[in-house]
Amino acid sequence: MIKVRLEPDGKDLEFHGLKTVLGLLNKLGLRPTMALVVRDGGLLTPDIRIKSGDEILVRKVTSAG
Amino acid sequence: MKCKRCKKPAVVGLPSHHTAFCEECFYVYFTRQVETAIRRQKMFTFDERILVALSGGKDSLTLMLALHELGYDVAGLHIDLGIYESSVRARAKVESFCEQHGLTLQVLEMEAEGLPMPDVKEHINRPVCSVCGKVKRHYFNKIAREGNFDALATGHNLDDEVARLFANTLRWDSGYLSDQGPTLPAAEGFVRKVKPLYRLSEFETANYAFLRGIEIHSDPCPFASGASFTSHKELIGELEHRSPGSKFQFYDGFLKRGREAFKMLEKEVGEELSPCEDCGSPTSVEICGVCRVKRAVRDKKAAAAQ
Ligand code: SF4
Ligand SMILES: [Zn+2]
Ligand SMILES: [Zn+2]
Repeated sequence: MIKVRLEPDGKDLEFHGLKTVLGLLNKLGLRPTMALVVRDGGLLTPDIRIKSGDEILVRKVTSAG
Repeated sequence: MKCKRCKKPAVVGLPSHHTAFCEECFYVYFTRQVETAIRRQKMFTFDERILVALSGGKDSLTLMLALHELGYDVAGLHIDLGIYESSVRARAKVESFCEQHGLTLQVLEMEAEGLPMPDVKEHINRPVCSVCGKVKRHYFNKIAREGNFDALATGHNLDDEVARLFANTLRWDSGYLSDQGPTLPAAEGFVRKVKPLYRLSEFETANYAFLRGIEIHSDPCPFASGASFTSHKELIGELEHRSPGSKFQFYDGFLKRGREAFKMLEKEVGEELSPCEDCGSPTSVEICGVCRVKRAVRDKKAAAAQ
């Protein structure tokens, strides 16, 4: 299971069977330049592999206004 | 992904530029985009004094830090709108950021000016955000002029500019189309306005802010009425995904081939300006819009107190 925190929505989500950051973004309906993806304090590019047990922060970049 | 410059593992992928960078090389790329913007759009020189509008958002703080590190003579101005906790937090963020980086900061309180936004919202029968925007522009210009600054810089990024251009184009608003751009030269009563981040996307400024440890998790203003440009930004984001680079081309093409035409159109209908009787800011009527709002707030508050 992969734990995902989605900001600024403040939602906690859980996913199974995802293999890459790109797969996660697709699941969330986000394009790669619409959000920062962070694991252990470091930024991840879409090709990076993710695995069960990961805790990931997805922070959408579009600010209001 | 590998960094295109040094082949280390990349941390930022930039499909619009068909490239990716490691942290160090991303800073180099980012700084060069800012330098190119300043040079190509003749924004300012190292001898000039620049006032930077600091809202507390990631873009304004990023801009301030980038200009300071490039060696420009910058000072920050934060306008405290008096909107409860939201303004308290924004102000605290700006103050601690400037202190941490040794940056000059001036804070202007709308409460002291008789224009706290909650009063505007209560007493003025117009969308508070439109008055708020007007008030901020008014005071940024006023403080820049009074402080003899050569330019006023704001943190607008490429996505902000493109979303605005898109909205203006949908309405064919020739007035706005004639003076939208990364550099607005000084005019009678108005200081030069510049947007040094206009070549960088929101994604790029967000990455920069994150890597530099600029706190970008901000609480929204309680008066925000559901982000006017957000749906345009999403549309444009989708276009950019399908056709990387189209955002910048749309904006750059407008600057090169569209804007002049609208300028000529507007020249014929431009209004004459004279100083406001209350505050001296340029206006086409006797008392400027902001001073009229200020008077209305004062009168209605007095009436309500009776
Ligand atoms: S959301 Fe509206 S009222 Fe709040 S700071 Fe922005 S413009 Fe002002
Ligand atoms: Zn590199
Ligand atoms: Zn006035």
